[in-house]
Amino acid sequence: MFDLVKKELALCMHPTAFIFLSFAALVFVPYYPYEVIFFFSCLSVFFCCMMARENGDIAFSCTLPVKKEHIPLAKMLVVIGLQCAILLLVGAMGAIKGAVLPAERSVNQAGISANIVLVGNGAVLLGVFNLIFFPRYFKAPEKIGVPFVIGAVSVFLLIGIFIVLRQTTPLYSVVLNGLNSEYSAAKLAALTIGLVVYTGLSVISCNLSMKNFRKTDVYGV
Amino acid sequence: MNALEVRNLTKTYPDFTLDKVSFCVPRGHIVGLIGRNGAGKSTTIKGILRLITAEGTVSVFGKDISQDEMAVKQMIGYVGGGFRYYPMNTLITIRKAYAPFYPTWDQSKYEKFLAQFGLSEKKKVKELSEGMKVKFALALALSHGAKLLIMDEPTSGLDPLSREEFCDIILQLVREEGVSVLFSTHITSDLMRIADDIIYISQGSIHAACPLEELLGKYRLVHFPSLAEATAANAIGVKSVKDGYEGLLLCDMQNSGDTVITDATIDNIMVHLEKAAEEGRHV
Repeated sequence: MFDLVKKELALCMHPTAFIFLSFAALVFVPYYPYEVIFFFSCLSVFFCCMMARENGDIAFSCTLPVKKEHIPLAKMLVVIGLQCAILLLVGAMGAIKGAVLPAERSVNQAGISANIVLVGNGAVLLGVFNLIFFPRYFKAPEKIGVPFVIGAVSVFLLIGIFIVLRQTTPLYSVVLNGLNSEYSAAKLAALTIGLVVYTGLSVISCNLSMKNFRKTDVYGV
Repeated sequence: MNALEVRNLTKTYPDFTLDKVSFCVPRGHIVGLIGRNGAGKSTTIKGILRLITAEGTVSVFGKDISQDEMAVKQMIGYVGGGFRYYPMNTLITIRKAYAPFYPTWDQSKYEKFLAQFGLSEKKKVKELSEGMKVKFALALALSHGAKLLIMDEPTSGLDPLSREEFCDIILQLVREEGVSVLFSTHITSDLMRIADDIIYISQGSIHAACPLEELLGKYRLVHFPSLAEATAANAIGVKSVKDGYEGLLLCDMQNSGDTVITDATIDNIMVHLEKAAEEGRHV
């Protein structure tokens, strides 16, 4: 498994997988729906899958001495690593923003502020994307467009829901909004829920992807 | 113990069925897998490597691939029609990602092959000619001590000199290292040079699996001046040629009249047996 992950990193990473990590800095943009940052993470997954298809990566991997179902697992572990990196970076950038800017400039009017609740929301978005995209992708790895469109539409719908909640409910506009130092327990609970949802959905996605890929016919060798 | 044993390999598509394909590759033999386009050669190889979900059993040196996929694949070196993967990557990047999968990887052997094949690891895959791509695939497959080489039309797209060189390398491997080879190809002249056995697959079923000499010795190519004479001789897969008709006769079949008899090549046998199959004649 370790060798497969190493092979993924050496041969299958589209540059955007790393470039889009820098988009965590968008939390410094005022009046911006920061959840969109996590969509770029999903977009980089799409580019990596496109690159894998153009390189015949899955067919090549299938000829290696590995269990067939380990191929989706390795790909997903790499993606989960990148997703954890963007979650950490957004959290870190949000903390820096809260520390260096005056409190009133830290509050985001377009969506949730760059605090740990944003990280929790991002985790939910990425977990939902993983659950929708990967099991479909590993059923037919040459068809990336449809799973991505379904995943992306779902992510944007969720982003819309988070923005509506921010604008309409006191929980999101007051308790979960603003600096991490205010209503810390509630914010920590929101982050924990987000991470639990992400972990659960990603584990389900891994299992479904492995199960689907076992039955997938691979061509292009 | 055979190097490869395939039993009742079956895969059903809406418009094609690989039907209970069974054969074996004896240890140290070069076995040619022949058949026309769409006959099921590549499907058979994909089924062996578990790239597609197929019924049946595949064992390599006595180990069932479904039971111990990783160990079995360690023993297999796969060479497709050239190295079609990662065109933008250099050979060294690919080798560094590939080698760790094989505990038996022999770097000095790999470097020896690179030198023998005139390959530079600094080159990108897209910069290699078709022949060089095949050689790179071969260098990777052979440097981890593969005991069974499975090759799917590796010589397609190669010029005659490169094919000759390729066949020499395979013969050398079999003689010096005891490697066993399953070799699917359309270019049957390559098989005439190096194959020990032939598996002839047609419309998803095995039509012949025997030593090459036995297959060649079974038929004679007969040239008839007229269709009537060909029909009277009960020739197999009779077809019109430039100045008459041609068909196969079994060696023990009698023929008479103004006929010219020559040894049949693999191509002749394939062409006429396919013609007979199209006509619905049981051969």
